[in-house]
Amino acid sequence: MDLRTFFLLCMALILAGCDDNEHAISVDLSRTEQVIFRETPDVITYAYLPQYSHRVSYTRHQALVRYLRKETGLNIRQIFPDNFDQHMKMVGDNKIHISFSNPFIYVKIARRYGAHAFARIVEATKKETFRGQVITRTDNTAIQTLGDCRGKTWIAVDPTSAGGYLFPLGHFFSHGITKADFKEIAFAPGPGGKQEKVILSVFAGKYDLGTIREGALDVVAGKIDVAKIRIVSRTPTYPGWVYAAVKTLDNKSLDKIRTALVKLDFNQKDHREILEAANFVNVIPAMDADFDSVRQLTGRLGMEMDQ
Amino acid sequence: MKPGFREKLLMGFFGLLLVQGLVIFLWFSHAMKASVLDEIKNRGVSTGTSLAVGLVEPMLAMDYLRMKVLMDETTRLGNDIFYTFVLDPDQNILAHTFNSGFPVELKRVNPLNGAGPSSLKLLDTGRQMVYDYAIPITVNNDFLGTLRLGLSQTRAEKVVNQVLVSTIIIILLAIFLAGLVGTLLVNPLIRSVKKLHDSSEQALKGNLDVHTAPTLDRNCWDIMACNREECPAYKNYHHRCWYLAGTLCPTCVEGEYAKKIQSCQHCRVYRKCSGDEIQSLAESFDAMTLSLRGNLSDLKAAEKILNEQKARLQTILDAIPDFISLQDQDGRYVSVNKAFCQILGKPRNEIIGRFNQDLFPPDAAALYNEEDRRILSTGTPLEKENQIKGPNGIKWLHVVKISVSQKTDRPKGLVCSGRDISMLKAVQDQLTHAQKMESVGSLAAGVAHEINTPLGIILGYGQLLLEDVNSEGQVYKDVEVIVKQTKICSKIVKDLLSFSRSNKSVVTDFDVHGALEEVIAVVEHTFSLNHVSIHRGFHGAPLSMKGDKEKIKQVFINLLNNAFDAIDTHGKIYVTTGSVKSGREIRISFIDTGCGIKKDNLVKIFEPFYTTKGPDKGTGLGLSVTFGIIKEHRGRIKAYSPPKTDKTLARGTQFVVFLPTDSN
Ligand code: SF4
Repeated sequence: MDLRTFFLLCMALILAGCDDNEHAISVDLSRTEQVIFRETPDVITYAYLPQYSHRVSYTRHQALVRYLRKETGLNIRQIFPDNFDQHMKMVGDNKIHISFSNPFIYVKIARRYGAHAFARIVEATKKETFRGQVITRTDNTAIQTLGDCRGKTWIAVDPTSAGGYLFPLGHFFSHGITKADFKEIAFAPGPGGKQEKVILSVFAGKYDLGTIREGALDVVAGKIDVAKIRIVSRTPTYPGWVYAAVKTLDNKSLDKIRTALVKLDFNQKDHREILEAANFVNVIPAMDADFDSVRQLTGRLGMEMDQ
Repeated sequence: MKPGFREKLLMGFFGLLLVQGLVIFLWFSHAMKASVLDEIKNRGVSTGTSLAVGLVEPMLAMDYLRMKVLMDETTRLGNDIFYTFVLDPDQNILAHTFNSGFPVELKRVNPLNGAGPSSLKLLDTGRQMVYDYAIPITVNNDFLGTLRLGLSQTRAEKVVNQVLVSTIIIILLAIFLAGLVGTLLVNPLIRSVKKLHDSSEQALKGNLDVHTAPTLDRNCWDIMACNREECPAYKNYHHRCWYLAGTLCPTCVEGEYAKKIQSCQHCRVYRKCSGDEIQSLAESFDAMTLSLRGNLSDLKAAEKILNEQKARLQTILDAIPDFISLQDQDGRYVSVNKAFCQILGKPRNEIIGRFNQDLFPPDAAALYNEEDRRILSTGTPLEKENQIKGPNGIKWLHVVKISVSQKTDRPKGLVCSGRDISMLKAVQDQLTHAQKMESVGSLAAGVAHEINTPLGIILGYGQLLLEDVNSEGQVYKDVEVIVKQTKICSKIVKDLLSFSRSNKSVVTDFDVHGALEEVIAVVEHTFSLNHVSIHRGFHGAPLSMKGDKEKIKQVFINLLNNAFDAIDTHGKIYVTTGSVKSGREIRISFIDTGCGIKKDNLVKIFEPFYTTKGPDKGTGLGLSVTFGIIKEHRGRIKAYSPPKTDKTLARGTQFVVFLPTDSN
């Protein structure tokens, strides 16, 4: 290679190393405004008791909310309270118009804020009822029967959880085990996602046993190896999850909503997608008396519904 | 001054490193800049994406505080994050990180339509450049809103520049280190090359005793533990054994390098001691000088012998009185001896390399060339007697020319040898002359003896007749003529007898001056009548000699008469004497102011009956008789015309007589 070729090659390499500058858009940051968020009027709020994370709540119910909006023509919007207390409080504050909650919460908000049930679901198990489960790690050989749970640490979903606390507490009670028999009773911390937190805590071995709603294991199936979790016992069944409306919701809207919900047909393709996402197969009309079994349980356990 | 090998090597090395560094810097800095910027951009995207994921829950919960806290924390964590804000699908601001109001224009510059891919725009705020990321916030592909994140490009550039500066420093450091390592690697090479150069210069100057190759830690005799002191390699620290012929290892193959090296390559010594190419070069250089030194000393010895032989030959040639010359096949003189130079009257260096035409007159040169050509073509030698005219007169040479043959067809040259035979010729002439004189003498003596008796009778009867006849009568006159002529004949006979030395000699001691004076006294008066004067220039002391005074006087008379005859009238005769050869010889000179003798005649004047005079003016026996008397006295006579000792005379003749004081 002579000197000229070498020089040209160098120049080519050097030129290849150069590039164009990026184009920039001029923005004046000096002009500012104060941001005020205005809530849209005539919104009917729909809230799913935050037994799972908001993302799960959203995933499960957004299609249903969209369906209701379309079906009823009402401005229905899903909102996400952080925890059960907030949920109940928002019902009381009229911030949640349609509450989808477990029967335990329902009996509480019915009693506290006069919310009334108008529909309830048929679970994915095709049952109108559901139950709780007592779980432990598969390798925890110390807990084989319900009785083995005495003196152990117990994590429950929430003091207001039905399947995750109330039903198991009743179940233990029926077997002569009281709260005092446990070494510790803890509740899943923080907002939302509480069912998952209980499973993960037991999975991690932080607590000897946990109580969850039946079906919650399916939610974490992709996240942990559920084979490492053993179901020690299942509680008796109670009425399933319930749609309750606040007092202030006008009957006309309520009717439209109930009708639309009941109209959902698992055999209909578009409905099935909605129902599958929401993890139930059907919505049936309901009334307050359907939940008396729960009220009885709370009574048995000596729970104060006003607190 | 032109750069040396070391400078060129280092310049090339550094030049290459510099170009490489430049190319690496420009090319890789661009790639690095792009990758760093990409990295920064990706970081923006990943920060934004993870923030967007984190914002899902607070957004669903409409928890503005949590949104704000999340965004503030993100902004605080990344100090190059300029701002973050969240828009709902209706482009309403849900939360932002600006302290004093939200910039109105910012909202619209990087819009996002639904849950599409994120978008990146470069914004110029006037103060700095900002990468603006618009990232969709989604749940299950449902579009919840847009997260906007501003990343300071100026800071990113700063990072890039820092990276570039680091790159430059690293490249420079690498060049410096590479240069340092290169110099360290090059230096031994340069040192070796320089040593090689120095050695070759030394060798060119004639010093073949150079040692270029480094000395070895362990040599062959150490490695092989041989103890063979008679081996040429033993304790030879400067030459590797595989370069030396005649080494004594059992594995060594006989012969020179080319033969040996094959076997050496399998040898332990070779494997241990052979070095890199430069070392091999130095070693072979040493071996070369060694062999050159050997060859040179052989050559010098041969040259010395040759020179000695040449000098010897030249001495021999020069010592030979004959002249000798050697010509090449073209006729050029290649070698001559001293005698040749003397003949030509030229020094040797003016003859060597010349041709005949450069050294001889044209006629002679043409003749010699023709002779040379004939000898070279026929191979027949030439032998001749040559008369040449040199600066010292005419010389006779006996010349032999023969061709020098060689194996090829053409003769290689000519050898010419010649002998100066001038002396021989002169002796031959003298011998001839002497023989002639001898024969003439014996003839004359014979004739004289035979004639003398009848002449005496005639003279006696004549004189008796004169007494008997009347002195007045005719008869008396006629008889008188007979008597007179008979007397003349008698004189001739007497001279002839003197010439042939048939006369008896009377040897006495006498004074030459006295003899001269006696003679001069007789002739001086007669000469003066013809105005011829005699001038004496005698030696201060008497010059006596042993010999026949009368015969010597006869010589003086003859020479004075000769001088008088040459003058005719009006002239001078100078008679001088002297003693030569430390008194062993007497020198008598006669100079006349006469007509002189021709050069050609000078040699003949001593021949009997030779005369230049007219009829009746002499017998032509005077000088022959003189010559005979002087020879009888073991003397010499020389004739010069014009005179030799008196340069004032343009004509005239000088006779110089040398007589030994004791002729016995
Ligand atoms: S060449 Fe062989 S014999 Fe000669 S000195 Fe070296 S080792 Fe000894």
